[in-house]
Amino acid sequence: MENPEGRLTKLALKGDQRAFAELVELYKDKIYHLAYRMLNNRHEAEDIVQETFLRVYRNLDRYDDKQKFSTWIYRIGTNLCIDRLRKRKPTFSLDAEMNDQEGVDGYSLIPSDNVTPETELLLSETQRLIYEAIDSLPVKYRSVMILRYLQDLSLQEISDVMDIPVTTIKTRVHRGREFLRKKLGPKM
Amino acid sequence: MECKLAVSMMHDYLDDDLPGQQQRELKEHLLSCTDCRVKFKELEQTDMLMFSLMHHNPVASEDLVDRIMNSIPKSKKERGFVTWIKRHPALTAASLFLVVMLMSTVTLGNSDRQLVVRGSDLDQVVIKGDTVIVPSGKVISGDLTVENGKTQVFGEVNGNVTVIDGSLYQASTAHISGQVKSIDQAVSWIWYKVTNMFSEVAYR
Repeated sequence: MENPEGRLTKLALKGDQRAFAELVELYKDKIYHLAYRMLNNRHEAEDIVQETFLRVYRNLDRYDDKQKFSTWIYRIGTNLCIDRLRKRKPTFSLDAEMNDQEGVDGYSLIPSDNVTPETELLLSETQRLIYEAIDSLPVKYRSVMILRYLQDLSLQEISDVMDIPVTTIKTRVHRGREFLRKKLGPKM
Repeated sequence: MECKLAVSMMHDYLDDDLPGQQQRELKEHLLSCTDCRVKFKELEQTDMLMFSLMHHNPVASEDLVDRIMNSIPKSKKERGFVTWIKRHPALTAASLFLVVMLMSTVTLGNSDRQLVVRGSDLDQVVIKGDTVIVPSGKVISGDLTVENGKTQVFGEVNGNVTVIDGSLYQASTAHISGQVKSIDQAVSWIWYKVTNMFSEVAYR
């Protein structure tokens, strides 16, 4: 049986721009959510969404409709996020105070992320804590945990997306969860 | 049951990956081990908190869809053409060669629009405007080649008559002892040039 995305990709491949727009509508929020949590930056997340769909478009003819479309697009999006994180400057602790200036730390040097005070208010303390905990996860755990929880993928699906054996994914979920528990535990 | 095994089972349970029998074993252990009970509660809460984030979708800019649709290549036909080219490199090269050849002959032909008359015995020939006339009663010994003009033969030609990109009129009184060739297509024109070149080379 043909999935709806398979039908849409075929139409898009024939030059139907509306079919492609429908695919964009179906997946843009999911990819944006994934990228936003991976990179913790709105502009970069939007770049990733754009780049993901551009790649999808360029490779429509290579999409095999025996595979789930979601698996395919998540793989493209996840890989782009991981590449983006790798290209970032070597990490250093944001909490460390700068030597020359009293009271100035790495956070004050990050360009603001356009979060308006209103949205900041809506973000509860608990949510903020979880986001911070996710951000502190090492990349290989972060991507797995985001796919597992924010996108609600099964372990098998994550294994397909990341092209990593399901046993490895299982271990990463366990360790990631343990890591988050330790971060959040005392505050819960 | 060891606590280490219990923790591993807790994770499997949260991943919906723990068979019923083992779920009962885990429950038994949790009832008897306070530490594991606390840990299980924390893991379960972490799990639930993480799932709750799924419903807090951050909102992307409203023009994101437009930006995406604008960033993809406009014409699908162009894309098809490009992939065709990628798939048939030999054909592409061949047709490109042909196009270049045609272009050069067309431009060559066009730059060369003036009347050219070649022959060994041109004294007998009358030229009026773009018309080359072999008057009646006159005899031309040798070949006659006319490019880009009309040719009217009333007399006699003891040789070949070649007309390139023009017309040939033979009156009833005309007599041509050699071959009569009329060339007016670009391709045959090239062919003529090429064979001419070869014969020239061969006779030198």
